[in-house]
Amino acid sequence: MTNTAGQPRKRLTMHQRQNLVGWLFLLPATILIIWLSFYPMFRALLISLMKGKPTALTFSDPLFRNYQRMMQDKVFIQSLINTFTYLIIQVPIMLVLAMIFASLLNRHDLKFKGLFRTCIFLPCATALVSYSIIFRTLFAYDGMINAMLMNMHILKEPVNWLNSPNTAKAVIIIALIWRWTGYNMVFYLAAMQSIDYSVYESARIDGASATTQLFRITIPLLKPIILVTAIMSTNGTLQLYDESVNLTQGGPANATITMSHYIYNTTFISNPNFGYAAAMSFVVLILVAILSVIQMKVGDKR
Amino acid sequence: MKKLLALVMALTMIMTMAAALATTDDGKLTIWTWDPTFNIAAMNIAKEMYQKDHPDVEIEIQEVLSEDIETNVTIAASSGDLSTLPDILLVQDNSFQKFATNYPEVYMDITDAYNFDGFGEAKVAYSVLDGRHYGIPFDAGTVVGAYRTDYLEKAGYTIADLKDITWDKLIEIGKVVKEKTGLPMFSGQAGSVDSIMIMMQSCGESLFNEDGSVNLKNNETLKKIIDVYSTMVKEGIYLEVNSWDEYIGTLSNGSVVGTFQGCWILSTIMSLADQKGKWDITNMPAMSNVEGATNYSNNGGSSWAIINGKDTDLALDFMQLYRNVDFYNAILPTTSAIATFAPAKEAPAYTAPNEFFNGTPIFATIVEYTGHVPSNITGAYYYDARNAVSTAITNALNGADIDAELANAEDTVNFAMGF
Repeated sequence: MTNTAGQPRKRLTMHQRQNLVGWLFLLPATILIIWLSFYPMFRALLISLMKGKPTALTFSDPLFRNYQRMMQDKVFIQSLINTFTYLIIQVPIMLVLAMIFASLLNRHDLKFKGLFRTCIFLPCATALVSYSIIFRTLFAYDGMINAMLMNMHILKEPVNWLNSPNTAKAVIIIALIWRWTGYNMVFYLAAMQSIDYSVYESARIDGASATTQLFRITIPLLKPIILVTAIMSTNGTLQLYDESVNLTQGGPANATITMSHYIYNTTFISNPNFGYAAAMSFVVLILVAILSVIQMKVGDKR
Repeated sequence: MKKLLALVMALTMIMTMAAALATTDDGKLTIWTWDPTFNIAAMNIAKEMYQKDHPDVEIEIQEVLSEDIETNVTIAASSGDLSTLPDILLVQDNSFQKFATNYPEVYMDITDAYNFDGFGEAKVAYSVLDGRHYGIPFDAGTVVGAYRTDYLEKAGYTIADLKDITWDKLIEIGKVVKEKTGLPMFSGQAGSVDSIMIMMQSCGESLFNEDGSVNLKNNETLKKIIDVYSTMVKEGIYLEVNSWDEYIGTLSNGSVVGTFQGCWILSTIMSLADQKGKWDITNMPAMSNVEGATNYSNNGGSSWAIINGKDTDLALDFMQLYRNVDFYNAILPTTSAIATFAPAKEAPAYTAPNEFFNGTPIFATIVEYTGHVPSNITGAYYYDARNAVSTAITNALNGADIDAELANAEDTVNFAMGF
């Protein structure tokens, strides 16, 4: 009876079938992402509204108490200021340096290009913990940096780098620049190589200087990549953890502690306060989102 | 479609199998502990001794780092499934109460199941919560004053001059030593407050009151201790370094005269073969003008906890070894883990003179000290308070007003407690 229409009614059309197969292919990944990523995020959101012992969490009253408390938490505010200090000083220096290195290495007449590229990229192949420990040793009171500066008669007596707030912050920033400049440089280099050399050639014929070429050709063409690296660096800096833990242990007197380090401390070192820690990590998420939106609005005029 | 179904079924099976593997068998003890030369070695000896009488009991000792044990306990307790935990695990004394308070269902209440006579009172206090016992003491963290006798001699002193002294006297000696040898008396990690906490406990003083409230702002003893500490730092008698490795470095390079530290530091000192015979130990200096001040304190150490719902009877029977003098006698030579069980000091391994320390029978001496250590209150917020005090002291050393800083520290801890 169903065959009266010539084609079976219950069969799907070709388009529908393809659609269904497509969804089936998507299904495993979707389920995994929802299960392993979105569900935990949702749970974290719920936990950030709760208080009490880890095994007996109850909704706090008022509901946003954990978020309200943050404004009175001196250590949290300190960690926020520290993180933004790193962000404001380190990211611009690093991106400018990466741009300079990239344009140097992009020159056609440069010898040993491969060697230089490897050297500059190598730092980001080192593990975060090990490079932090190496920097701690370098900047120790009787470490190499002090010995070097004293032999060169730049310093009269050793500086206790990691034991005063400003120098400790400076050491972290130097370490971050060392670790991440090469990484960003690779992005710029790749983008620069996609710019046709004839563009520069014709610009030179028109009498454009190297600076003009940089500001009028390279940077405008690299804009999307600069945006990507800026967002990635901002994101990474806001989540800074390893350097604070391993290089300075957050000290002296919380002068270098980052938000992620403080969140970890709240959960695992101090008396566990899961609700408050979850709330703080949501603040980090919101900050990342806001900063990314600003950067996209400023940087992308399409 | 069939393949997908097969995949889903395979996945389900793998998960069920994984879940089945996680549950433990009966009649077998699993133990988590972290140091192969120390507590693992001790447990291995315990295992041998126990299996001699109980050959059918299987005991598995797994090396799990202290931080990983803490994370695993946190995860197991938060998920409400203790089956992933072992029967017995080792806990740092300073975080014992934090876990016992927050996860009361994890550690077994052994108040009526275990005999605590003979253990040092201060040691047992770490694992007691509301009058109930949750831990069996393992090693002592009794503080010793260890000094390089060759340096002292150069400055015209002997080890006897440092016995039973006050900090005022120590500073006096320290100045002379600094002048004659150019070396600081002690060293320590800046911001770690280990030294401050040692001095606090030597007075029987804590960062908390009996009722659990914070005791920082009006803590006169703490202020006096910070005063002594900053005097020493300013006079160059106490060298602040930035990391633990640098601290160990000052001892191994011979760039300090001595250290006051938990007795576990002695195994590090004894590993410095070139300094054999140059060291000796005595007790630490005491605070003057503080009521209840002694020359004895504690830093570090750990205790065993038995996990609820596991083979608790077997675990308890096994742990009776920790009341056995022969056991302590057997573990001392290989591990240098010093008992907090007083009868152990009569054991031959304890009374033997130690070549490294000019023939002083250091182990018996330390067990003797253990009995004098005043107990202190750690509580669940111990690390919150420690961090706050550390911040206050660092700021004070950089010129801030100590009263304001301690008031600030008290606010910080109260803030954490008000969650």
